[in-house]
Amino acid sequence: MTMAAVELNCVTKSFGDVQVIKGVSLAIRKGEFVSLLGPSGCGKTTLLRMIAGLEKVTTGSIIIGGTNSTRLPPERRDIAMVFQSYALLPHLTVRENVMFPLRMRRLGRKDEQQRRVDEVLEMVQLGHLANRRPRELSGGQQQRVAVARAVVSRPQVLLLDEPLSNLDARLRESMQEELIQLHRQTGLTTVFVTHDQEEALSLSDRVVLLNEGRIEQEGAPTDLYSAPATPFSASFMGSSNLLDVQIEAAKGAPCATLAPGSALPLEPGCAAAGPATITFRQEDVQLLPADAEEGILATVETRLFLGSRIRYVITAGAHRFRCLASPGHSFAAGQAIRVRIPPGRIRVIGRTLA
Amino acid sequence: MVEAVPTGVRAAAVIFMLLVLAFVLGPLVVVAGVSFTAGDYVTFPPEGLSLRWYRAVLSADVYTHSAITSLRLAALVTLAATVIGTGVAVALHRRRIPGTGFLSALVLSPLVLPTIVFALGLLMLWSSVVGRTSFYSLWLGHTVIAVPYVIRTTLAVLATSDPFLEEAARTMGAGPWRTLFHVTLPQCLPGIAAGGFFAFNISFDEAILSLFLRSPDIMTLPIQIYTQLEFSPDPSIAAASALMIALTIFLIVAIDRLLGIQRVAA
Amino acid sequence: MASHREDWAIAAPGLLLLLLAFLVPVGSILALGVRTEGGEFTPAYVIRFLTEPYYLGISWRTIKLSVVITLVCALVGFPFAYIMARVGPRLRLWLVILITLPLMTSVVVRTFGWMVLLGRGGLVPDIMRSLGLVRRNYTLMHTEVAIVVGMVQILFPFMVLSILGVILRMDPRLEEAARVMGCTFLQSVRRVVLPVATPGIVAGSLLVFTLSASYFITPSLLGGARLPVLAGSIYETATRTQDWPFAAAQSLILFTAVLLLLFPYIRLTRKAGG
Ligand SMILES: Nc1ncnc2c1ncn2[C@@H]1O[C@H](COP(=O)(O)OP(=O)(O)OP(=O)(O)O)[C@@H](O)[C@H]1O
Ligand SMILES: [Mg+2]
Repeated sequence: MTMAAVELNCVTKSFGDVQVIKGVSLAIRKGEFVSLLGPSGCGKTTLLRMIAGLEKVTTGSIIIGGTNSTRLPPERRDIAMVFQSYALLPHLTVRENVMFPLRMRRLGRKDEQQRRVDEVLEMVQLGHLANRRPRELSGGQQQRVAVARAVVSRPQVLLLDEPLSNLDARLRESMQEELIQLHRQTGLTTVFVTHDQEEALSLSDRVVLLNEGRIEQEGAPTDLYSAPATPFSASFMGSSNLLDVQIEAAKGAPCATLAPGSALPLEPGCAAAGPATITFRQEDVQLLPADAEEGILATVETRLFLGSRIRYVITAGAHRFRCLASPGHSFAAGQAIRVRIPPGRIRVIGRTLA
Repeated sequence: MVEAVPTGVRAAAVIFMLLVLAFVLGPLVVVAGVSFTAGDYVTFPPEGLSLRWYRAVLSADVYTHSAITSLRLAALVTLAATVIGTGVAVALHRRRIPGTGFLSALVLSPLVLPTIVFALGLLMLWSSVVGRTSFYSLWLGHTVIAVPYVIRTTLAVLATSDPFLEEAARTMGAGPWRTLFHVTLPQCLPGIAAGGFFAFNISFDEAILSLFLRSPDIMTLPIQIYTQLEFSPDPSIAAASALMIALTIFLIVAIDRLLGIQRVAA
Repeated sequence: MASHREDWAIAAPGLLLLLLAFLVPVGSILALGVRTEGGEFTPAYVIRFLTEPYYLGISWRTIKLSVVITLVCALVGFPFAYIMARVGPRLRLWLVILITLPLMTSVVVRTFGWMVLLGRGGLVPDIMRSLGLVRRNYTLMHTEVAIVVGMVQILFPFMVLSILGVILRMDPRLEEAARVMGCTFLQSVRRVVLPVATPGIVAGSLLVFTLSASYFITPSLLGGARLPVLAGSIYETATRTQDWPFAAAQSLILFTAVLLLLFPYIRLTRKAGG
């Protein structure tokens, strides 16, 4: 087993009587890009600040690059952090800002430091602005300075707390691409905090989904997206439908009954009979004309044209769910239709195999 | 909204403002006017125009000596007050030591508690612990009342700075002391400077503490003027006072340039 | 980061200075006012102050003058601050500078200006004489009017800045709403602005009152020896008669009164600033 770059062992954090991190264990491999994802207030920032040493750990331990850093102050941990507000030092120029970690950590001789700074500034395409002060830069440029300043010391782990949330949508997309490229170039172990699931899915090797101070689910982006393990994961990963149904095991092949006479077939042997929650993604729902051979009967409640897609809200008995369809075939609001979902695309959660 | 104010009310407002300003600034204008008189007596409007009383002040030992004492005192008070006040302001701003709210009120209390009570107490304590009052007793007393000004201006600047700068510095490898010197203090600089000008002004103009804590061999400029006022005012007092007003105007402009007077006055 | 030792370290010089050079001297002078030479508690000095007619007269004059000074400051300060809040920011900045200028000039200089203006042959008596109000050789010096005039000039900025802060935080649309609902201009000022400004007026009044009770250079120069106030009496007792315990007892009384007024002041400014 290779040594993890960062290892959290049963870390908890309490502010006074309130426990906000409730036992998190996590091992981050060298060079891995991990996202901490979760709703507001779930403890992402707190967890990141504990790795940085800015917040004391209540119980548990944090090991960074093989060194037990649980009680080390931030300056003695081999880390770098990008703050949401960038926290550029306003009295220093861009070059001096990027030089700062090298000066403080006394890394290399003066001329080596200069070279490193120039190199990193080129990497983020800021060489021509090196002598400006932070307030003379645009938001995106400040963002790049903050990133340059963080990677210049080649830390054991790079921590980013929602670094893109202050940028407008277009700039955000291009910065995401730059971050991926930067990660590929530097190979730095990266922990990235975000509450935007798309950002987490598109950037990371692994997504850690947090909920109320606990890890709800972790895994590769595709796993989290297509196989949410809990109702929380399913609803947080967005664009998933959650339905409470009755599982009936008819002749070996089970099905999920939405209403009498209206049942969705499931994969054989995936669940025992009884009440359960099923989840399926919007884009997996297939809409068929009412006279089709298969599928359950349903009604189109609303129809939203989104440009490349159309979103339908469908009702089937007492249940409502959403569907994303390509504009090829079109149904009107109020129209009766049939709905089919491939059995392999339906996941039963909230109840495990018998 | 301004359009909705009746014209009569507006005219009345302008007259009212001018009257109040005349009242507030009148004495200063009068002092400046008297200082240019060519006559031998304190009169306003002045009799003729001349600079003779300025020449008299600048060549009179009583004034030059006391002015030098006051300047030296003010400079040393400024030095001590800025060093001490900045430290307190930074610590209070971080809100990490217990009882920060209470301590904030306490360190600013010399601004509002009666100076005369403090002056009397310090005189008594100084006499019983150190002995004769001296330049140093004045230095101590003035520093105590100047420090709150530095604390206030520095806190005002810190309140508008990025709260994450210090933490960012720590994650970049700077220990607590290097963070203080490389990050926090450079942020505070305008506030410290403005506080320093306040401190200088307070010490240079101060009369109450000086009356209690002076010793026969040291005389500050305000005390010199005060003693003259009690006995025989002549236009040289006006010239000395006008010079003090000029210095004050310079200090106010400097503070405004550094910090914006509105941020520290309110 | 745990112990924040460095915070204590940088605050220590200031806190020590405050403790040793401010709290201890103030505390010991207050204690001196209620102690015998042997160190036991005695209310004798305080009682003496509160029973001798001469000193009662001083207290009465101090309170009376402070009330008048405070009232004048508030009556002039409210419209002044209101107008300041409604002019453009550049003009407002100039007004702030102009009214803080006297605040920052030495008290002896300001007082000297008033002595010239109010004294025999000064501008103000001259004008009054030419209006036929007073005789020749009339002087306003050594009157309570002179004290009030001189003190109001000094303390006026405190009142204005205190009220200005509150009015500037007020939503100007409140006033517009009042006008739209049919209030005249003066009604809207009275019904809308005045209630909003009241905390500022009260806080400013408390501050002006306490400060006016503790100044003594202006009252003693403009009022003279025949019109002593409490702070001046403390100075006289300490320096002329050298009766320290009695000066201390007077300090105790002044200090207690000031403190009683400062508590509501601190609470008000906290709320307004919060
Ligand atoms: N210094 C503190 N004192 C008390 N409670 C705190 C403190 N810092 C954070 N909390 C609490 O801890 C919980 C987690 O906060 P945290 O900032 O880590 O959330 P987050 O996941 O980063 O949220 P967001 O997406 O809004 O940034 C919240 O409930 C918050 O109120
Ligand atoms: Mg956060």
